[in-house]
Amino acid sequence: MAVILFFGMAYPHHLHYQEQFQLFLFDSNYVWDIVKLPGGVADLLGRFCTQFFLYAWVGAVIIGILLSAIQLLVSRFVGGGWFYGLSYVPSFLLWLFLLDEHALLGGVWAVLLTFLAVWGLCKLPKGLVRYIGIIVALPILYWMVGTHWNGCHYYRYPKVFPTLLYVAWLLALAIPLLVYVCRKWLKDSKGLVIPLCSFALVAVVMGAVVWKNANFKAEKVMQYDFMASHQQWNRIIETANKEKPNNQIGVTVQNLALAMRGVLLDQMQNYNQNGIAGLLPDVQSDATSPMPTAEAFYQLGMINVAQRTVFEAQEAILDFQKSGRCYKRLAQTNLINGNYEVARKYLMALQKTLFYRDWANETLPLLGDEEAIAKHPEYGRLRKWAYKDNFFFSDHVTPEMLESLYFGCTDNSMAYQYLIAYYMLTGDRERYNNFISKNR
Amino acid sequence: MKSYIQSYVMFLVAAMLLLSSCAGHPDVPSSSKESKSLPAIYPDYCNVIIPYNIAPLNFMLPADEYSECVARITTPDGKQQTYGNGVKVQIPEDEWHEMLAASKGKSLKIEVWGKKGDEWLSFNPFDIIVAEDPIDEYLSYRLIEPSYVAWTFMEIAQRNITSFEETQIFNNEITNINKEKGQCINCHSYQNYKTDNMLFHVRLSNAGTVIVNDGKISRVNLKRDYTISSGVYPAWHPTEKLIAFSTNLTRQAFHTLNPNKIEVYDLASDMILYDVKTDSVTVVSNDSTLLEVYPTWSPDGKYLYYCKSVPLPEEMADKDIRTTYPKIQYNLYRRSFDVATHNFGDEELVYDAASADKSVTLPRISPDGRYLLFALGQYGCFHSRHHDADIVCIPMEKYTGTALTAETSSPVDMSLVNSDGYSDSYPSWSSNGHWIMVASRRDDDNYSRVYFAYFKDGKVGKAFLLPQEDPEHNVFLLKSYNRPEFMIEPVKISVDEFSKVFDK
Repeated sequence: MAVILFFGMAYPHHLHYQEQFQLFLFDSNYVWDIVKLPGGVADLLGRFCTQFFLYAWVGAVIIGILLSAIQLLVSRFVGGGWFYGLSYVPSFLLWLFLLDEHALLGGVWAVLLTFLAVWGLCKLPKGLVRYIGIIVALPILYWMVGTHWNGCHYYRYPKVFPTLLYVAWLLALAIPLLVYVCRKWLKDSKGLVIPLCSFALVAVVMGAVVWKNANFKAEKVMQYDFMASHQQWNRIIETANKEKPNNQIGVTVQNLALAMRGVLLDQMQNYNQNGIAGLLPDVQSDATSPMPTAEAFYQLGMINVAQRTVFEAQEAILDFQKSGRCYKRLAQTNLINGNYEVARKYLMALQKTLFYRDWANETLPLLGDEEAIAKHPEYGRLRKWAYKDNFFFSDHVTPEMLESLYFGCTDNSMAYQYLIAYYMLTGDRERYNNFISKNR
Repeated sequence: MKSYIQSYVMFLVAAMLLLSSCAGHPDVPSSSKESKSLPAIYPDYCNVIIPYNIAPLNFMLPADEYSECVARITTPDGKQQTYGNGVKVQIPEDEWHEMLAASKGKSLKIEVWGKKGDEWLSFNPFDIIVAEDPIDEYLSYRLIEPSYVAWTFMEIAQRNITSFEETQIFNNEITNINKEKGQCINCHSYQNYKTDNMLFHVRLSNAGTVIVNDGKISRVNLKRDYTISSGVYPAWHPTEKLIAFSTNLTRQAFHTLNPNKIEVYDLASDMILYDVKTDSVTVVSNDSTLLEVYPTWSPDGKYLYYCKSVPLPEEMADKDIRTTYPKIQYNLYRRSFDVATHNFGDEELVYDAASADKSVTLPRISPDGRYLLFALGQYGCFHSRHHDADIVCIPMEKYTGTALTAETSSPVDMSLVNSDGYSDSYPSWSSNGHWIMVASRRDDDNYSRVYFAYFKDGKVGKAFLLPQEDPEHNVFLLKSYNRPEFMIEPVKISVDEFSKVFDK
């Protein structure tokens, strides 16, 4: 229950973050490409569960069930008494592991599957049958949970060795052995007091460790990113009003929300600012930081710029996975640009997902339907606002880019707000005066 | 006992019938409405000329319009077979090759029926003409997202064209020692369609050019103090252990509006000759004011062809290439080559594209030396990103020492090969000169696909897509086929063996 409450209430955006860096497809080729590798089964189960992280509470329940299952299996070997508390240690370590946004759920499945196999083998009669069982189980287990050369299964950054995961894995096996050895000295007690005390001791110590290691600062940043991706402009402003963001993503999203509500120029001075970097930061070559900026590019009508930014962000996902969020945005930018066949590819892929299918089905009929696109509140507006002049853009947004956007369509209130905000933040009075005189 | 045997036999017959229906030989609809048009099959294989050794041309009807498809194939000897499973027609390889063997030099007749709602439609039949000339058994390509700057997984793969077997030659993961830096692999190239002498580049992490010399692998650094970069676009000499490379300082820029989206251009480019035996690099041309790129040898090895930019108008000469790029155009040149001395002769202008406000790239001479293929667009050197890029084929007999132009070159009619408004690029010849291969973005304007077309006596057949086991494969594949190259044999070195060269 504590795990569910923690991930559901204190850490939900870490789960959203996880979900957006994968795209689980109900497709035989996709499944085969995963399960054909050692560790593929654990990886597939992890990815399957991670798709539910789009709804944080469902994700929290899944994690709760997985960690409870591991604890229950370990407790079967540990028994009661003073050792009972030890049965929680592997699950606590896995909880600690999952605090890291790059820790993949496949790792937890690998531990669980290993323990299920060990438990199953212990159920076999001793002697030849059990030996045969072990010989048969080992290669199967290697296929299901073993890591392969690129080590992508259990941690997003293949270079990083997920120590905590392996410690949890080893402890899950070592604790029963330890208990077996130590049982000579500490005898089982039949009452509930000692097991409860032992649990309370482990829970307090490990709970404190989990809480201390939770990255609530990152959670806040992820919250802003999540709200931007779901276009929750009012909620963003409400959140910023409660506690003003002081990180780049938070400030970028806060300014975007203010602009989307048409109050950026009136209210930006009431919030923390970070110069140009808080308005439209330079695009970095990672998978996370460009996404809020890409959202701003998109809402401004810089469709090609948004498309490139999202594409590059997706390519920067280090374990080569794709992203439902990115596919969706790439389908949208291609639709707005009139590249219907490319948009169709992304939409057809999204049709093979659980949670993006309905959106893809709704969007597919729009392809090629110029009238419906023109009438669409988002795509029609962004088409109208998009650039009318061609030039090369760079990773650094310049006032000329915003000016060109605005003068291409003076209805583009977003471009207007961003341009004036740009001048306000840089204090470039000369350019501002030039713009005002040009705009008369 | 008798009744037991009887029921056993009946069970066997039923099982065989069930199995045969699983192989996909459905009945032709008993009644249908004539549609009086060719079926809108994907890929479009209507009236194409194909080699007799190609994999089954599986196809499908659009799934959003039809619920079922049945095709009946008739061979010249009158034998018929039907196929169809849902909207897809997937023909078993052995049956297909049997049909092709019986049709060499003749045609297969294809009749297609499609079920729309409750009604079956019958379409006009079409032919698939089976040429007597085979296609090279293998093809290799790089599979890559059509990306901007960043990329993830990429691989160089080889495909058996006579079947659907695809295997990996190399990938950018196995020797990548720096994930943040990433690794790019590119420009696979073979000597004379054979794989005992081949190469590919590895950039960034663990960089180098992997060269296979008579089956022996080595990794070399082609960058020298006197070159602007390491080797980029390669061309193996057809008989010698020599490789011509361009050296390029390449940049990319991104359009806000232009549908070409990405512009790839060179700030500088030269040409070098690499001697595999001595590991020595000599400069072939390094005019600092002009750009030389895309070397290719004549099949006899006596000429090196390449593209070279024409000087910009004086008023533009000092301007940023990001503003002058639409004016940068390349012509086609050649220089004679003395195999004994490794000396090059004077430069000859072979094809003047700039005079017609065009730019020529990626030349390839046919194996018999009689025809020249290249990609032609309005400007620049990277036509795979240019919507107007088309393939041009000219007879070399027209070149008598005076530069050819669009008017004087008597180009072959390539209208059945080129697409309208989509990039057609990277042309190449099969080893027998009867099959042209191009990389085209015609399917969706973004993802390059491999197309083949028959070529004989200066006439070209309709281009058709590289067949796949699942005809829907290309619809879902979010990768481009980059740099398709014919091979007459597979690369025999495994990914692991290649990776060992990085341990040294």
